[in-house]
Amino acid sequence: MAGSTFTRRRAILLLTLTSVLLITLDLRGSSVVNGARSVFGTIFRPIESATRVVTRPVQNAWNGITHYNDVVDENRRLRDLVAYGQGANIAAIATVREAQELLALNGLPTLAGISSCTAQVVGQSPSNFSQTVEINRGSECGIKVGMPVLNAAGMIGKVTNVYNKRAVVMLLTDPGYSLSVKVVNTPPTTTTTTVPGSPSTSSTTTTTTTTTTVPRTTTTTIKGFTPGSTLPVTTSSLAPGVTAPTGTAGPNQPGQNTNTQITVPAGADLPLRETGALEGRGLSKNPVVRFIENTPRFGAIVVGSPVISAGGATSLAPPDIVIGTVSKVVKRTGTLGPILEVKLSANLNSLNFVRVLLYQPITERPTEP
Amino acid sequence: MDAIIGIAENKYTRLVLVGLLFLSLQTTIFNEMRPFNVCLQVMLLLAASCGLAKGSSTGAVAGFIVGLLYDFVLTTPLGLCAAVFALVAYLAGYAHSFVHESTWWSRSLVASAASAVGMVVLPIAFTVTGAEGVLTLQIFTAVAVVSLFNAVFSVPVEILCRWALKDPAPVR
Repeated sequence: MAGSTFTRRRAILLLTLTSVLLITLDLRGSSVVNGARSVFGTIFRPIESATRVVTRPVQNAWNGITHYNDVVDENRRLRDLVAYGQGANIAAIATVREAQELLALNGLPTLAGISSCTAQVVGQSPSNFSQTVEINRGSECGIKVGMPVLNAAGMIGKVTNVYNKRAVVMLLTDPGYSLSVKVVNTPPTTTTTTVPGSPSTSSTTTTTTTTTTVPRTTTTTIKGFTPGSTLPVTTSSLAPGVTAPTGTAGPNQPGQNTNTQITVPAGADLPLRETGALEGRGLSKNPVVRFIENTPRFGAIVVGSPVISAGGATSLAPPDIVIGTVSKVVKRTGTLGPILEVKLSANLNSLNFVRVLLYQPITERPTEP
Repeated sequence: MDAIIGIAENKYTRLVLVGLLFLSLQTTIFNEMRPFNVCLQVMLLLAASCGLAKGSSTGAVAGFIVGLLYDFVLTTPLGLCAAVFALVAYLAGYAHSFVHESTWWSRSLVASAASAVGMVVLPIAFTVTGAEGVLTLQIFTAVAVVSLFNAVFSVPVEILCRWALKDPAPVR
C-alpha cells in the first residue's frame, strides 16, 4: 500500500513538473513547442479531414434541425438585402474608383496597392474561451504573423500563428485583440420634416405623403461667406485719386477689395475623425473602442458612425479598412471620453472565404542590407 | 521488431489512437454542434472516463496524454489542458474509489462532477497564464451543458477506455 502511494505521488509530481515545464516553454515562445505543434498539425490534418467527411451528414442533420427557422428568415432578409444592395453597389463602385484615383493621384496608400492572399476558413477553435479560426493558406502564400484578415464585409482579425499550409487567425472578438481605429463622426445636421398640405384640413380618405429634407447647417467666421460655395463678386469703388496696384494677386492686397472669386472648401461638411483603441471582449459581446477624446470639436458620437482602421507606422493594419459601426455609446463623466460598442460589419459566425492582406507596417519590415 | 510490436501493444499507444479519434470528432462535429452556444468537450469526457475505468493513478497519466493531444490544436499554452485533464481524471478515479457498489448511474454522476470541475478549473488556469475575458457568466452554462452531456455518454466511453487501457495478457 505504501509502495502504491509512493508511486502515485511520484506520478503526480512528474505530471505536474512536466506541465509546468511545457507551459513555461510555450509562454517563452520556444521553437521546440512550435515545431511540435506544426508536426502534430501535419499528422492530424488527414485524420481530421476524414472525420469531417464522415460526420458531414450528422452535422447537416443537426444544422437542419436547429437552424431551419433561422435559415428561412435569413434567406428572406438576404433577398431584400440583395435587392437593396444591387442599386447601391453600382454607385459604390464608382465612388470607390474615384476615391482610389484621388488617393493614387495624391500619392496616398490604398488597399488596392497591397497584395493579398485569398484563403478559406477550414476550422475554428474548439474551445469556449478563445476566438480563432484556421485558414488553409500559410507561409507558402507569404502570410506572416500580424497580417490583417478581411472578408467581403470588412476586417475579421489578424494572423497569430503561421505554418506552411495553414494559419491561425485571431478574431476581432477575442479578448486578446487590440487595434488602433478611427471613428468617423458625421457633422451636425438639422432635419426639417415637411408635410405637404394644410395640417388643419382633415379627411378620412386623404393619403399623406411625408418628405424629409436635410438641409446642412454651416457656420463660418467670415461674414457673408458660405462654405462650399463660390462667392459672388463684390466690387467697391476706389477713392478718387487712388490707383489700384498692379498685379491683382489676391483679395488680401492692401488697398484692394475682393475682385476675384473665392471658393471656400466645405470644411464643415467633412466628417470628423477621432482615434481610439478597439478591444475584443469575447464572442457574446461586441468589441469596444476606448481612449476616444472628449473634445467639443468632435461633438457627440452618434450610433451608426462608421469605425475604420487608423493605420500608422506601428499599426498592424493599413488605414481605412471597414470594421463596423458604433452600436452603443457609453458616456463617462469628466474629461473621460466615451466607450463605444462596435457592431462588426463582418459576421464572424459564418466565415468562409477570407483575404489576408500581405501588409506589414514600416516598423515590422525587414531592412534591406 | 519486438520493440515495435511492444509499442503497438502498449495501452498508452491505444489511448493515443483513441484520443486522436476523439480529437478529430472534437474539432469537427462537436465544434459545429453547439447546444446553447456551448462547445461540447468530448476530450474532457475521455479524460474523466479514463479515471473511472482505471483508477486515479493510471487515469491521471491517461488524462495528461489526452489533454496534451488537445493542447496541440488549441492556441492556449501547451501543457495547460494536460494538467487540468490529468486533475479531472485523477479526481474521477479518486472519487469513484469511495463508491461501495458502483452502478452505471454512479459512474455517470462521477463523470459529470469531474467534468464540471474541469470546466471551472480550465478558464481559471487560462486566466492564470495570462488570458483575459475568459472568466464570464457563460462558464455556468458551459458547465451545465458539458457535465450533462458527459454524464449521458460516460458509460460507453468508459467501456472504450477500459479496452484501450487494459494491461496485456500474461504470456504462458
